[in-house]
Amino acid sequence: MDYIAIAFLACLILALVVKKLSLPPIPFYIMSGIFLGSSGLNIVARSEISLFLSNLGLIFLLFYMGLELKLGRFAEKKSDILIGGFIDMNINMIIGFLVAFLIGFEVHDAIVFASAFYISSSAIAISSLIENKKLFLPESETVVWLMIFEDIILVLIIFLLSAEFANLFTLLLETFVMVISFFGISKFAKGYLFRIMTRGDEIPVLLTFSSVLLVSYFSRLLGVPEALAVIALGSALSTVNSKEFERISKPFKDVFLVLFFFFFGVSMEFTGELSVIPFIVMGLVAVGSKMLSGLAMGRVIHGSYFSGFEIGANSIARGEFSIVIASLYASDLVSAAVTVMVLMTSLIGSFMAKYSFVMRRILKEKVGR
Amino acid sequence: MTFRSVELPGVGTKYELTTEKGDKIVIIFMSSGNIQIYVLEKGCETPAVAELNPGEARRLGSILTGAILEAEREAVEIAFSALSDLRISIHTYIIGKNVVGRSIGELGIRKKTGVTIVAVSRMGRNIINPPPSFIFEEGDVVVAIGEHEQLKAFESKILRM
Repeated sequence: MDYIAIAFLACLILALVVKKLSLPPIPFYIMSGIFLGSSGLNIVARSEISLFLSNLGLIFLLFYMGLELKLGRFAEKKSDILIGGFIDMNINMIIGFLVAFLIGFEVHDAIVFASAFYISSSAIAISSLIENKKLFLPESETVVWLMIFEDIILVLIIFLLSAEFANLFTLLLETFVMVISFFGISKFAKGYLFRIMTRGDEIPVLLTFSSVLLVSYFSRLLGVPEALAVIALGSALSTVNSKEFERISKPFKDVFLVLFFFFFGVSMEFTGELSVIPFIVMGLVAVGSKMLSGLAMGRVIHGSYFSGFEIGANSIARGEFSIVIASLYASDLVSAAVTVMVLMTSLIGSFMAKYSFVMRRILKEKVGR
Repeated sequence: MTFRSVELPGVGTKYELTTEKGDKIVIIFMSSGNIQIYVLEKGCETPAVAELNPGEARRLGSILTGAILEAEREAVEIAFSALSDLRISIHTYIIGKNVVGRSIGELGIRKKTGVTIVAVSRMGRNIINPPPSFIFEEGDVVVAIGEHEQLKAFESKILRM
């Protein structure tokens, strides 16, 4: 219990400082975990409670993502977004895989790394667009939709990576049954659930919290991937009353996710067979790769490399979802590589996003007019 | 003038307006409830930005719709498209010393001026449709409704401003 209190205290202080400097908090939560954990001062260790609470952070993040996952939104969108999404996916998956493979990861590790390499941080990208006052740019629309697109691909990635531990056919069947039953229940009991969610007492909170926890418990019991189960639950419940569910689950997500990042840092052990230099190379490639996909998207969607520079700069930061992939599927080696990448890209990314106007102006003067 | 709006999931809704002269105004209603306004002069690359809370945004909105006639005392004039010769004004006034301690009925506000007091704000609480027995206290802000001339009479006869 002491560990949890220490973790919260450290993260609270950090969050206050970091927000003042308008930096993304995620890398600092992880770093404080590393610093206080077994790789650092060894003050905090993992316990059963911390594992449980971290897992709550993970499942509430995925549940919340499921709530926001509205596939119908893409139906009315222009094909631009899909094209941009595919450019981003292909370039970054391929470069991510190649760099990991060339550095000496096994194929499986390289695939997991490539997935974490591809997924940008929606949280960091969106808060930096708001904070750096960039929402007026047409490029910011592209970035926002790119994040949504990536979230959908993330669901596929989670499915495919889970498929490794199970028979693909049974997994497909299980997922199918699960999705159908969640959506069926949501449709069947829509009126009843809606009425419950609009009550003024503690019932809506209880319902939200316990349904996520129950689904997580039963998915473990039945051997269905927990991550997929909570995403499917969120997605189904969003058809009932997505606003209320989002409002209620956000505090749970926010609080437990901080612990998830912190204890992910605590669990980190930098004693692998690789030195830290290859990790730094991978982090730099991760920056370059998103810039490259950004430039390509800018050229295709907005007809300008300068727009591409803006898109690239705002999508460099990797964060929550890369850590999720690492914590669910990665070996210690890959986890360490992903951690270094998240730390580097989120810091470099927020710097680039902040100063992209200035850099763009300098580039324009030097290169073209 | 061109106008468009787009949904930005996770951020809010974006409204984009390009004026005839080519200046661009972008307004973002964020999920947090706050509003960002970008003003980009034609030919300029970096916009001026202001972030407003919902109250400030409403205030700005009512200025832009041209409703506020006088800056020091707020008023809104309403015209109905179906009743084009009916123009009703709604004014707010801060209660002065000479009215404090007297009731609406005692002052004979409606009888003397035709104005109706529709609401009173007292220490942050709102009293809607106060009865004739309602007694004014110092610091009350009243909302009065009537025609322009009636409100002028209210100002001179009752408030003695």
